[in-house]
Amino acid sequence: MGRVKFYCDEGRCIDCGGCVVACKEAHEVPVGVNRRRVVTINEGIEGREVSLSVACMHCADAPCQQVCPTDCFYIRADGIVLHDKEKCIGCGYCLYACPFGAPQFPQNGAFGTKGKMDKCTFCAGGPEETHSEAEFHAYGQNRIAEGKVPMCAAMCSTKALLAGDSDEVSSIFLTRVASKGKGTPKAPYGWDKAYGK
Amino acid sequence: MASNPAMSQTFFQRNRAYIYTALGLGLVGVLFVGVLMIMDWGYLIGYTIHVLTGGSVQGVLTPPDSSYQMMVNEAFGPAYKTIAPEIIRASNERQLFIWWVFVGEIVIFAVMYVLYGRKQATVTRPDDLVTVFTPFQRAVIWLNVFIIITLVLTGFNITWSLRSEGGMLPYLLRGTHEMTGVIWLPIWLLVSVMTFKDSPILRKNSSFRFFLPGHYKPMKRVVWFFFVAMGAGLLLSGILLWYLHPDAFTHAQFIQFKRALLYLHFGASVLIMFFLLDFVYSVTVAVKGNLKYLVCGKFPREHLEQLDPEVLEDLKGAGRA
Repeated sequence: MGRVKFYCDEGRCIDCGGCVVACKEAHEVPVGVNRRRVVTINEGIEGREVSLSVACMHCADAPCQQVCPTDCFYIRADGIVLHDKEKCIGCGYCLYACPFGAPQFPQNGAFGTKGKMDKCTFCAGGPEETHSEAEFHAYGQNRIAEGKVPMCAAMCSTKALLAGDSDEVSSIFLTRVASKGKGTPKAPYGWDKAYGK
Repeated sequence: MASNPAMSQTFFQRNRAYIYTALGLGLVGVLFVGVLMIMDWGYLIGYTIHVLTGGSVQGVLTPPDSSYQMMVNEAFGPAYKTIAPEIIRASNERQLFIWWVFVGEIVIFAVMYVLYGRKQATVTRPDDLVTVFTPFQRAVIWLNVFIIITLVLTGFNITWSLRSEGGMLPYLLRGTHEMTGVIWLPIWLLVSVMTFKDSPILRKNSSFRFFLPGHYKPMKRVVWFFFVAMGAGLLLSGILLWYLHPDAFTHAQFIQFKRALLYLHFGASVLIMFFLLDFVYSVTVAVKGNLKYLVCGKFPREHLEQLDPEVLEDLKGAGRA
């Protein structure tokens, strides 16, 4: 398998929030932290309402990795961008650098200061031992190690949200564009920033 | 008729401290802004005007011309590379090269030391002491010193944590930086009073007048003004950065504002560091004995007569010397 990608088909997303709930439930993400969110524009305007499910895009040239002063990020061979919470100092630089608003910070520090950063792991856990208690506690499930796709994509009822091998995802995207039979295909939202032109 | 010494000086002689400061900062500014920085100044200026004139802090300066752009604005926030791209993209470079700023400054001080040496008063009556600083004044001054040292060390802890490689201690120090910054606010306000003590309004009020006796010389006034101005920038940006805690759903609305605040915080910290080091040099290195006297608050009368006669005059006027 080559690199992995997320793709959200805005034509199919119905803002049900299933991906958000599935992610929070699977990884026991605390209140106030959302690894995934759904954004809707033109809400209530018939024919123009569009929704998009957004999380870490696991960028090819991840700005979070470049900006992190403790070098806590690492990119796996399949392109999944992960981080080590043992190293993270919660400075928030990754938040400024991220084009997608993926890094999340719990307010569980002293006097409401930021805690350590949390973000989508593509359901690939973290640097701890795979399937260990420590890995689950810090990063959530490691579904990739079990050969499964991320929980959000698995639970998407309209299959708007896809996750997996880049070529496969791109192929599905092009097939869907072609099936609509009109217009020039625009790259999915965020792909230009995450993976280049 | 006796001529006024201040009037006999040329404009340059009277204002050379300000002129040198303006030229130095201008040169550094041109180098940084024109050569080293890649930020989109047009966007930053437009954004600042947009916010100041009542626009939202989201950073959407022109209405989106497509639903694609509208979604990008709502989901991710607009123009993410325009503000603070150096901070976003050059973290490691900053950690490697910022040392040279301090090296340059130490070189300047070394040259000054060689040229001007170290002032030292001849004290023949060490027991003839004058109380210059009351316990309250000393508490403010030393609290300010300890807070600034804490902020500098914990701030560097964030910037240079590539060396510490992160972990629990740097994490706690990062939190300490945020909380110490909030605690600094009232101390900074008192330091602001000291800075403007020569202004006619404060000078008329006796309680302000003797907070720091004597008058500032221009060079020292510049240092204090920059300390207060950059401190204002640091406190405003720091407290807002700490307070504004965008969650996943408000990220796009606030992130551009936070980037602008971060830029202000970095810029102000660089400038305040220069003037802080300048102040430390002028107080502890350029004049011998200041540090020791500042601890107890009492200065030998001869020290004041020789090096700070205006301070002694002010204290005599108040019946304290």
